[in-house]
Amino acid sequence: MKGSVVSITLNGVERETLVAPGTTLLNLLREHQSLTGTRRGCDQGTCGSCTVLVDGKAKLACLIPVETIDGSRVETVENLAVNNDLHPLQQAFVEGFATQCGFCTSGMIMAAKGLLSVNPKPSRAQVIQAISGNVCRCTGYESIIDAILAAAARMGRPIKKSA
Amino acid sequence: MLQTVVTPTSLGDLRKALKQAPTATFMAGGTLVMPMINEGAHGVSTLVSLSKLGLDSISFKKGVATIGAVAPIAELARHSELKFLSVAIESIASPTLRNMATVGGNLFAEQPYGDLAVCLVALDATVTIVNAKSKRSAPVEEVVKKGLKAGEIVTLVSFTIPKAGTFKYAKASRRVLNSASIVTVAAVIPLAKGLVADCRIALGGVAAKPIRAKSVEKLLNGKPFNGKIVTAAAAAAAKDIEPFTDAYASAWYRERVAPVHICRALLRDAAGKA
Repeated sequence: MKGSVVSITLNGVERETLVAPGTTLLNLLREHQSLTGTRRGCDQGTCGSCTVLVDGKAKLACLIPVETIDGSRVETVENLAVNNDLHPLQQAFVEGFATQCGFCTSGMIMAAKGLLSVNPKPSRAQVIQAISGNVCRCTGYESIIDAILAAAARMGRPIKKSA
Repeated sequence: MLQTVVTPTSLGDLRKALKQAPTATFMAGGTLVMPMINEGAHGVSTLVSLSKLGLDSISFKKGVATIGAVAPIAELARHSELKFLSVAIESIASPTLRNMATVGGNLFAEQPYGDLAVCLVALDATVTIVNAKSKRSAPVEEVVKKGLKAGEIVTLVSFTIPKAGTFKYAKASRRVLNSASIVTVAAVIPLAKGLVADCRIALGGVAAKPIRAKSVEKLLNGKPFNGKIVTAAAAAAAKDIEPFTDAYASAWYRERVAPVHICRALLRDAAGKA
């Protein structure tokens, strides 16, 4: 069993990691890079809690052997807040009580970010569709949908410079 | 235990990898293979990823769509030529999974998954298949039924884009979004002088593999296309299906509702309204 070195631009920084064959992106994030914001839920691609952006597209980190994305850009929830300022999606989740136990939250936020990057003004139906692969057992989804729509509205407004 | 993951970047490299590991397991988007690997006890020692072979292009020429087998299902929705498939595409899993799951991989999804394969059977799509030495082509209908020989992979899927309004689709599932099929109906119903001419109706969720509803097709061909005739013909689907019981629905239920959904698919207008 021979390991291999994969190079991934992780949250804007190029990282080379020596991995065992078939190491999933989820394992690389959590075990090698200590980025535990990305959650391990089902390991089957059915719960969405490990959703990250790979080359800008929402994908499930548990289903990706890292050898297959050598050279890609990966963005995780840890990349969203700038200094102490939460990303509008994170802020909207906090304000809208869209997170209860919090397990699904990072996956929900990354799926939403994937949506907003191609569709900055989604309809409610489009938001529901975008998070249809993400399971939340607490909120009943409505507060999450509201938060994503609120974030989209906020991101659509011109940015105010803080003093 | 997984010993090697190979990501060949050309068909030549792939063939080399196949020679070295003839029993390798192939992976495209990973949505079928990786859940099995993550479960453990899978017996896969070499995994060959098809993701970097450059087999993800989508092109159109003289009314024929040619789609690389590794094109993600989500990519189909970006082409206006394939707009007729958008209702079907949106009925498959979630957008996140559709960013990963591939057109070729969907042909090998176990029922009650694989709704795109059902569409491709209805469209009479053809696939290009390669192995370590040679290349052949085969109808999708045959590939979904018999599978491939060891060491073969699908590289391209192609089909003639159906005339506007002739492609029909309906899927019954437990939830509106992201759920497996209870019954999936995809059909191409061409009309000539007001009569049905050589229609193709494919069904998912009602047999071990995607199948054709040949008894229904036979009753429709040569007939006027109206609600009464479609309803009568759809009842014959019972002869074509071999439904199964799973967590989503019982075989009994699938058999009862299959004709209903055939009618809904066929009689729905272009805007998707019944």
